[in-house]
Amino acid sequence: MESIKNVGVMIELELRRLRHDRMELWTRAVQPVLWIAIYGTIMGNVRGIDTGGLKYQDYITPGVLIQSTTFVSIFYGLTIVWERESGILKRLLVSPVSRSATVIGRSMAAGVRAIFQGLIIIPIALVIGVRFVPNPLFLLGAFLVIFFAAGGFAAISIFIASFFKTRERFMGIGQAITFPLFFTSSALYPLSMMPHVLKEIALVNPVSYVVDAVRGLMISGDLSGLPIDLLAIAVFLVVMFTVASVSFKRIIE
Amino acid sequence: MQPALDVSGLTKTYGGGTKALAGVDLKVEEGSIFALLGPNGAGKTTLMRILTTQLRPDTGKAQVFGLDTARQGAAIRRLAGYVPQEMSVWTDISGYENMLIYAKIYGVPKSTRDGTIKDALAKMGLDDVRERVVSTYSGGMIRRLEIACTLLIKPKILFLDEPTIGLDPSARKVVWEELTAFKREHGATVFFNTHYMDEADNYADRIAIIDRGKIVGEGTPDELKRSIGGELIKLTVVGEAATQAVVDHLRGMDLVTDLTAAGAELSLVVKDASMALPAIIEAMRERGVAVKRVTMEAPTLDDVFLRYAGARLEEGGRAVDTRQTRRMIKVG
Repeated sequence: MESIKNVGVMIELELRRLRHDRMELWTRAVQPVLWIAIYGTIMGNVRGIDTGGLKYQDYITPGVLIQSTTFVSIFYGLTIVWERESGILKRLLVSPVSRSATVIGRSMAAGVRAIFQGLIIIPIALVIGVRFVPNPLFLLGAFLVIFFAAGGFAAISIFIASFFKTRERFMGIGQAITFPLFFTSSALYPLSMMPHVLKEIALVNPVSYVVDAVRGLMISGDLSGLPIDLLAIAVFLVVMFTVASVSFKRIIE
Repeated sequence: MQPALDVSGLTKTYGGGTKALAGVDLKVEEGSIFALLGPNGAGKTTLMRILTTQLRPDTGKAQVFGLDTARQGAAIRRLAGYVPQEMSVWTDISGYENMLIYAKIYGVPKSTRDGTIKDALAKMGLDDVRERVVSTYSGGMIRRLEIACTLLIKPKILFLDEPTIGLDPSARKVVWEELTAFKREHGATVFFNTHYMDEADNYADRIAIIDRGKIVGEGTPDELKRSIGGELIKLTVVGEAATQAVVDHLRGMDLVTDLTAAGAELSLVVKDASMALPAIIEAMRERGVAVKRVTMEAPTLDDVFLRYAGARLEEGGRAVDTRQTRRMIKVG
């Protein structure tokens, strides 16, 4: 009970930080908008990708959105690295907040950022001409998926931060992770188009499941894959929260 | 009575082979202010990090109110407030918001929260900047905010790692007045690391001197000063010189450790000058020698430190280094 309350406090902290500095949200929205507007339009003209009847631009919008929120989450670890270099983490670790509540709370704080990211990108995508499922419940579901998935990726990032404790090393490893996650998922093209090896990787890549769930809820309205997607995401969260909580103690040593 | 801190045989060697603690024994009474004084690299911070359950010792035992730091960490964390040496507040939210987050983490009840926070901020002189984002604060204001965050939660014991580093003398005074008042009102124990001798001297009930991972001296500030052989009294008598009878008598007194006479000047080494002086003057007057002028020289903690640790403490610009580190963190 107290842990849940503390997770809430960590989320509140993030909201307060966002309130003071919204700049980052806007600048981070530039890249995904370019993907949808330019890459989506041009590749859509090629018509070589089997999107299951969807317009290509519509098809990649969830993928690009997830890529952008995953990016935010993976680099959330930089905040943790900074807090480690200052005394903030030491102080948190000497507070009554349990380590797992700290890790889950900070991870879900990244989920909050992801939601705002979505709230900026989706209206822009609408203006560009992307068609969404006109059901607010579906959209709400999509946001929940984005929220929790972003938390899971932030947990990966906290896990990484407990090994790579300087900004420079962390930056390098962060870059090395985000793009492979993006390209080995179904974000830009369906799994059926991938070479065999890549397909195997895509099957264990959490981004694939997240993209599939969000695409179903947001664009296609086809929820047939949703149960498996949600199960995969749940397993991913449990594993990442556990691993990150266990490794977290290392971070201040 | 159970001591607030009870440390015995504590050792800690870091991965790189650095021996940070080489067998520390220490007891701190509840409700006292205790200073751990030592140069850079003496093991002060390591000891504090073990006491605050961040690190496990290799051998030995550390207890906080009878709770073992290695096994009962969660219970200790509920009792302890801690200010690390590095900056420990979020710089991208306001001072008030920092306090609010900590108040919530420590479960300060909602009904009293706002009042308690504003009160704590006012006491630390941060009243008019409380809505400002912390990145606009000076180093001293940040330190005061950190201490305010800690006092807010009314801890039973406070661990302060170089609490007044980077503060100017007047801000240091404000901080210590608040800490002393807090201790008095709540019966809290304060354990702090410092390399400012005057701070230990003025505010600590007891001081331990740590050097190369070992406690080399411990006591009240006065005990420590006396322990290095006493204080110096210099007397100038009326007339050409003191009579031989007086000199012989003074030399024979229990209170006097050593005496040298040179004309009208007498130099006496005594254990406790404030106790010895009246008796000495009285003895001289009985033998018809009047005193024209008296000066007393008390040993400073610096002398104490020199004696126990074999080095002067405030050499090497350590304070400046740390302040620069803090500034770097703030900018970064």
